[in-house]
Amino acid sequence: MADRSLAPDTPELRERWGGFAFTEANKAHADKVIARYPDGRQKSAVMPLLDLAQRQVGAETDTQGWLPLPVIEYVAAYLDVPVIRVLEVATFYFMYNLRPVGKYHVQVCGTTPCMLRGSDAIMEACKARGMKKGAVSEDGLWTLTEVECMGSCATAPMVQINDGNYEDLTPERLDAVLDALAAGKDPKEGTQEPGRHTSEPSGGPTTLKEMVSENHDYRSQW
Amino acid sequence: MPKVTVDGQEIEVPNGATVLQACELAGKEIPRFCYHERLSIAGNCRMCLVEVKPGPPKPQASCALPATDGQEIRTDTDMVKTAREGVMEFLLINHPLDCPICDQGGECDLQDQSMMYGRGATRYEENKRAVTEKYMGPLIKTIMTRCIHCTRCVRFSEEIAGVDEIGAIYRGEDMQITTYLEQAASHELSANVIDLCPVGALTSRPYAFEARPWELKKTWSIDVSDAVGANIRLDSRGREVMRALPRINDAVNEEWLSDKGRYQVDGLSRRRLDKVYIRKDGKLVPAEWNEAFAAIAAANPKGSIAAVAGDLVDCETMFAAKALLGALGSDHLEGRQTGLDYDCSNLAAVNFNSTFEGIENADAILIVGSQVRWEAALVNVRLRKAAKRGAKIFVVGPQWDTTYPATFLGEDAAVLHDLPQAITEAFSKAERPAVIVGGGGLAKGALHPALAFAEQFNLVREGWNGFNVLHMAASRMGGLMLGYAQKGGIGNIAKAKPNVLISLGADELDYGAFADSLKVYIGHHGDAGAHAADIILPGASYAEKDGTYVNTEGRVQFAEKAVFAPGDAREDWTILRAMADALDVSVGFDSFAELQSAMIAAVPALGEEGLADFGQLPNADASIRASGAISYPIADFYMTNVVARASATMQRCSSELLHHDDLKEAAE
Amino acid sequence: MSFLGKIFTWWNGATIGTSLFTMRRGEKVGTDAQGNTYYRSRNKRDMTTAGSYIGAERRWVIYEGANDASRVPPEWHGWLHGSFDDVPESYLPPAKIWETEYVPNATGTADAYRPQGALERGGKRVKAVGDYEAWTPE
Repeated sequence: MADRSLAPDTPELRERWGGFAFTEANKAHADKVIARYPDGRQKSAVMPLLDLAQRQVGAETDTQGWLPLPVIEYVAAYLDVPVIRVLEVATFYFMYNLRPVGKYHVQVCGTTPCMLRGSDAIMEACKARGMKKGAVSEDGLWTLTEVECMGSCATAPMVQINDGNYEDLTPERLDAVLDALAAGKDPKEGTQEPGRHTSEPSGGPTTLKEMVSENHDYRSQW
Repeated sequence: MPKVTVDGQEIEVPNGATVLQACELAGKEIPRFCYHERLSIAGNCRMCLVEVKPGPPKPQASCALPATDGQEIRTDTDMVKTAREGVMEFLLINHPLDCPICDQGGECDLQDQSMMYGRGATRYEENKRAVTEKYMGPLIKTIMTRCIHCTRCVRFSEEIAGVDEIGAIYRGEDMQITTYLEQAASHELSANVIDLCPVGALTSRPYAFEARPWELKKTWSIDVSDAVGANIRLDSRGREVMRALPRINDAVNEEWLSDKGRYQVDGLSRRRLDKVYIRKDGKLVPAEWNEAFAAIAAANPKGSIAAVAGDLVDCETMFAAKALLGALGSDHLEGRQTGLDYDCSNLAAVNFNSTFEGIENADAILIVGSQVRWEAALVNVRLRKAAKRGAKIFVVGPQWDTTYPATFLGEDAAVLHDLPQAITEAFSKAERPAVIVGGGGLAKGALHPALAFAEQFNLVREGWNGFNVLHMAASRMGGLMLGYAQKGGIGNIAKAKPNVLISLGADELDYGAFADSLKVYIGHHGDAGAHAADIILPGASYAEKDGTYVNTEGRVQFAEKAVFAPGDAREDWTILRAMADALDVSVGFDSFAELQSAMIAAVPALGEEGLADFGQLPNADASIRASGAISYPIADFYMTNVVARASATMQRCSSELLHHDDLKEAAE
Repeated sequence: MSFLGKIFTWWNGATIGTSLFTMRRGEKVGTDAQGNTYYRSRNKRDMTTAGSYIGAERRWVIYEGANDASRVPPEWHGWLHGSFDDVPESYLPPAKIWETEYVPNATGTADAYRPQGALERGGKRVKAVGDYEAWTPE
């Protein structure tokens, strides 16, 4: 599992993030999320709001974003929830970054199916580009994390970079993706295997073959 | 009423009972760590596994499984035994084997249950997890490596105390119990998590490495730090009280105890009065008992003597003083040291009539001038329960941090005569409305307006009495029952200018008003009273004498003597008895038993443990008007009585938690 | 030591009887750091005739000063009690630098150990159960 710990509570951190507040747009979105829950249950909105806050921090720092303590406190105050309850949530889910990350947070899946399909080579490829686990690379672009199963086993190995999944990787395909990202381009998400659309069997479907091109009616064969 | 079979024994269990409770009813012990009767069900320790049919063919956590009709529960099968062994083995994987240096040793659930239900030996050879210690304030010592993540402390602070400050951060094996940024836990009941912790992760900091549970003599006593009369157990070794723990009494303190009641006991060995002092030429010098008695006799006390009872004295002491004064032809008795002079002609009007258990069921509560959290922390727990059940709570007085939603109606007591619509609405609809008048309200003459309020909204009805007065002194109700209340209060006594003033541990008294009297202080701690006294006679504290106490509900309770008083100090009644001889009068008792029977003959209610019956509420006197801004009498929760003021632990709590002096220890 | 002292006291060194016996039958073996002298019987016939040492060589010590058995250092103790045959200098390995000098039992002397709280150490002790701090008017 990823090694997680809170960023220390320093005066610099307080100074940088003490004045954090949602932007107008985010505030409107936050209130919309809160309105989904019944009166008095506003604390149910803690997870979307933490995510929103993390994205706003990301936008302000041009990274994926993370959750400094003052921001967690802001969310707690926004929801009128004791801050320890919000901290519990923020430290529980790995999608909330507790330390600063780079512009691209590369999460390499290292669980068994990906490992069998060559995630070690993917990891090496990342490290060869100067990424270090749990640290921001010198150019501020990359943070590498090894994560457990992301649920894309059919298209293993995969990495998740910020909000996108990149699947069916080889070191070369990963390099292509990373190069494109570094160049500010928007590489295609999902499988990187030519000819494959999503997670269908590689080499084409083995069942329901007629469904590929059209909506076939199988009922006559029942 | 579902019928279930537990190990072949068929029993009927109440609706809504869990399988664990059903097993308990059948007399089967179910091991548990996270389950606690007074907390919500978490179901995360998995120790309470039993076999239940019908159901999946695997052990089930009995604490979280409702008992339903026709269930067949087995607690004695091999499956259950292996399941328990397995759970215990997992729990012990990351639990250090440091019982010999652990303060919980000897009273540890994990220790006991691993002996009872665990495997004989460990198979674990890998490294164990270690967790850094967390700072939780001056009372709670943490050794978080021992934590088994039962989350009882988290649930206690959230559900009972109402102060969300403890939480579980990170997850899985990395889960850690902590306060936010390791701030000190700073509510009045924080130390109860020490009792709740089933292992040695949260232990008592002041008591750390002091004693082992099996060395201690356990004495049943009553807490005197407030007027709740919490039932406590004093654990003593030799001549010293080592700690105080709550006893279970659902009617009074459930199983909680305020931090002050728990930790003021170290004050019992500091600033003690252990010899007789007489003021000579303006200076107190050590003297002999007979010199002191001769000096009192020389002051001509006959007919001109007064007694003022302090906040911590027992009924027997007060009765002995009353008997002495009676023999000397005086009835100048008073217990309300700060000068309150509310009407005590009918004790029902100054009693907490709803009872603590009853107030939980109230659905509209008006608090007049009481900062309940500090004046009676355990009553605040009850109010919080009432609020959780939907009670509307209003407070007259300055703002304080209630742990439940409450509406503040301003500081002026006159609001009682001009009620806002919200109140009238809530109270006219309420089925069990209640009013609580505190010391701050009594000082502004709110007693009769509150009685009028009770009449107006019919607070006394079939099976319900919603009129309550919340006192702060352990001796108050007993004193009122024994007649320690003058019309006109303490001012009346000062006006009488007695030759001799006997102060029974009265430290809140303004002794300046008694400049011409010979002030005799009978008490156990050197505080304001001892400094002002002309003669000091060393007495016994609540831990050092048998005694009867009456709490603010009028509940008569008996405390036992745990240790002997230090030095020359004597039990208070013996001092008064000896003084009677020196003054050549007869008080009519020669032993504690005789004193008690004389007291019970005079006030029969004191002879029976339990609630005293004070009869009907009096009619309100509409001519008495409440007015003025209410202020709360307690300025510092941790410093309200002489024992607490002498206690190093309470001083530290006060400076660190209330005044935020930076005393935080370097991380250990 | 005065002649009269030798006649009437027994607590320092050998009495006259022991000195005569030693002169007649004893063979000096060695001296320890404190000056105690060790002897064994010169004649093989003088074997011990009692206890578990029957048939063993007879060995004894004459103290230089007080007759205090704890003044025999461990190495000579071993020889005296028959743990080894040779004298310690030849039998035992040389002393290590970290070995401290042997000190006889100091009980009853001014050097005796006094526990914390003893009056000889000022009577100050750590807090114990039942201690209390008394109030004084000052």
